[in-house]
Amino acid sequence: MITTINKTTKTYNRVSDIIDSLTINPNPDAVTVLEEIGTNSSIDEVREMTAKALVKRNEPNSLSVVISHRGKGVNDMSTVVAMSTINCLLSLEDKEEAMKVLENTISNEGIEEDVRENARSVKALMALS
Amino acid sequence: MSTIERVSQWSHRIFNTTTNEQNVRRSSNPFAQSNFQKNILMEDVFESSKKDVSFTGGISQGTKRIYSTFVGSINDFGKKFYDGIESIKEFGLRMKDGIVGALNKIREIGNTEIHLGEGLKNGYNAVKSVLATDMGKFFNTREKQVAAMAKLDPHTQVKPLLSNAIKALEEELTVAA
Repeated sequence: MITTINKTTKTYNRVSDIIDSLTINPNPDAVTVLEEIGTNSSIDEVREMTAKALVKRNEPNSLSVVISHRGKGVNDMSTVVAMSTINCLLSLEDKEEAMKVLENTISNEGIEEDVRENARSVKALMALS
Repeated sequence: MSTIERVSQWSHRIFNTTTNEQNVRRSSNPFAQSNFQKNILMEDVFESSKKDVSFTGGISQGTKRIYSTFVGSINDFGKKFYDGIESIKEFGLRMKDGIVGALNKIREIGNTEIHLGEGLKNGYNAVKSVLATDMGKFFNTREKQVAAMAKLDPHTQVKPLLSNAIKALEEELTVAA
């Protein structure tokens, strides 16, 4: 099984371009498409690109996907994807929305404890940055 | 005006074309700056010291003075003539230098091998490269494609595109494996 991907191929660039277009698409449905298709991909690089796109949109529903959902964004089973998403959150210029989503996740008892724990860690990092 | 003065003026008119020529040094003749620059020689210059041998015969003193003036002029003419030759020689040398320089220039131009077809080809290539660079800068197709896709409907238009692209990428990975 191949664990690395050639990021110079035409197909990879095509996927990257589509995800980039959904990042800047003003339609809120773009978040749904990213969540349904991108975050459920079996390819780590695709999930990573999708998580970054959702963070860059910097909207409550897009941030909620990468913070509050199990197996996505900061909660991804791939360490690379999770760390990349955290880095993207830390590099946001406007962190207000992200902090709100993190607080809501931490305070929501309906969410799994490990997800809330991750949210607490990310919040601590963001407070320090 | 005396005859001597007239002859002097006459010879001066013949052999002195311009007064400026006196100031222009045209030769390395050591006698150029000698006393013979004057048009009039001393009247007894050609008189023999031996009194028994006389070429003058019955020539009077006045006639002798005229002749001496004329001879002085002739002497001066010799200098002028020499200077003239020198001028011609220098002119010739300058011309030669000029022609040699011109020939060298022509040779240099010839060595560059300028051909019309080649020049046009080079010009075309230069314009092509400039245009290619600018086209890359101003018409980035990838950015244009992304901007165009961002205007599409996510569910009906972009979702199928993304699904197909990810599927193609997965197939690529499977083939590579």
